[in-house]
Amino acid sequence: MRATAWAVGGAAALGWPLVAPRYFVFLATLVAVNAVVAIGLNLLSGYTNQLSFGHAGFLAVGAYTAAILTLRAPALPVPLTLLAAGLVTALVGLALGIPCLRLDGLYLAMATLAFGFVVTEAITNLDSLTHGNDGLRVPLARLGPWLLDTDRSRYYLTLAVAAAMILAALNVAATRTGRAFLAIRTSEIAAQASGINAAALKTVAFVLSAFYTGVAGGLFAFVVGFLSPDAFDVFLSVDFLVMIILGGLGSVWGSVAGAAIVTVLNDSLAGFQAYRPLVFGAIMIAGMLFMPGGLAAMTRRQS
Amino acid sequence: MSGPALIHVVVSGLATGCIYALGALSLVIVYNATRTVNFAQGELLMISAFVAWTAQRAGLPLAAALVSGVVAGGLLALLLERAIIRRAVSATHWDVLIITLGLSLALRAAAGIVWTNEELPFPALFSNRPIAIGPVRVAPVSLGVIGASLILMLALVALFRATRFGRAMRAVAQNQTAARLMGISVERVYAGSWVLAAVVGGVAGVLIAPVTFLSTKMGLIAINGFTAAVLGGFGSLPGAVAGGMLLGVIENLAPLYLPTGIRYSVPFLVMIAILVARPRGLFGTLERRKV
Repeated sequence: MRATAWAVGGAAALGWPLVAPRYFVFLATLVAVNAVVAIGLNLLSGYTNQLSFGHAGFLAVGAYTAAILTLRAPALPVPLTLLAAGLVTALVGLALGIPCLRLDGLYLAMATLAFGFVVTEAITNLDSLTHGNDGLRVPLARLGPWLLDTDRSRYYLTLAVAAAMILAALNVAATRTGRAFLAIRTSEIAAQASGINAAALKTVAFVLSAFYTGVAGGLFAFVVGFLSPDAFDVFLSVDFLVMIILGGLGSVWGSVAGAAIVTVLNDSLAGFQAYRPLVFGAIMIAGMLFMPGGLAAMTRRQS
Repeated sequence: MSGPALIHVVVSGLATGCIYALGALSLVIVYNATRTVNFAQGELLMISAFVAWTAQRAGLPLAAALVSGVVAGGLLALLLERAIIRRAVSATHWDVLIITLGLSLALRAAAGIVWTNEELPFPALFSNRPIAIGPVRVAPVSLGVIGASLILMLALVALFRATRFGRAMRAVAQNQTAARLMGISVERVYAGSWVLAAVVGGVAGVLIAPVTFLSTKMGLIAINGFTAAVLGGFGSLPGAVAGGMLLGVIENLAPLYLPTGIRYSVPFLVMIAILVARPRGLFGTLERRKV
């Protein structure tokens, strides 16, 4: 049963660009990018109960790192670029995470909110590096001799990266650190009493979450092809939160489902910009009132 | 910079600070009663300003229009608390936080649909042309905002100290279970604190709208209110006022000494700095959480 689900899902993901029109290939790529962000955010929010309003900031750091790196070193293979984007963002996450160690809940949320604003302001003002408000055109990604110049090629790149990151997230509970995350989620105090260094692990979660989001940012840069600071505002961070609330806090597949729904919804509401936040707001309220565990909890209850 | 010019900047900083202080007070009032932050506080403030604008356009005298805006904000808060927040009272604070975040998105979009997403000029009670008081030049609008805010703050002090409802709110803030055992209706205090916060925020909204223009984005000012509240130690009402004033003055002085590029980041940098250095605020005390 499980194996069949994997096989069908895998075949559908691999075959999608062969049957779907170009635009839907692009949309599916965006879903995969957002799924990586949602998983990253969920590692933080779902596992260690820390809310972040700054993930658009992390995404921006990753995206700009990848874009600037490709501009300066066009021959760099794309996996290395993405890794660099992830590592730089993780470093930023560490720099933000260590001073924020003492904060919890609301205070941390507000610190991340402020972080998000500071990142967009920094991008706007670092003209020489980022071209500020004029935006930055991202060169094509390169993988050895191949130039990733089609939607299809970028789809497969994103799919491969997303698959690896989903697998890693699914198996996080197989590691000592992952089990410690789960212990913190259940009860931070009980986890501390069992000898888990909650403060250190929360920083690890922060850095890991930033890494995921940074890699996603790199993918985002290549997929969208154009970056400007206003694309990374606080409302994007809220979109990411909607994804994991809808999908279910602490669930990897829930994050993927939430990312898919929000991305497609965002796209279908593109013609009704005024109503988009109304719909998203309603989803958040209804989600919390009527299905607090998200989609993940609903399927769990049925089985 | 000359002394009188500096005073001008500080006075306009204090005026901005009063608005932040009122925003901070409204957040803290809800927080003290319900232990959650209302992310839609800024949007309630924005709707108050829009209603006042509509009422004035409909022919009401300006003062009456402003009052009607504030009252409308209070009523909307009551409605939201009764219809949505109360259903989630048994839920965690986390859930309520996300609900208010959803409310803020929905209210902003709704205001954009009902009114407009454009910026609108808002009728001013006070002129912004500077007048001379001795060697110092100050804008009447600054003095008006400061005066109106101080009156409202004094009214709040009276409310919290002298009325039954105010004492009930303080009791709930101190210990909810004990308050309930003393026969206080905690639910009524929840609803009352939402209304009171919306009224305080609404006053801030109609006072600042002539300066910042009326727009659906003006709710973002609540973020500065939050910074102000954190600066003063979240949960403390005098701290909220002091934090607001301090933030307003810092924000107005900073552009004189800092490059223009980081000007708009100042409130956020202040927030990060204060959270990192003194998470409980300048005047706050450490709150021990019991298992």
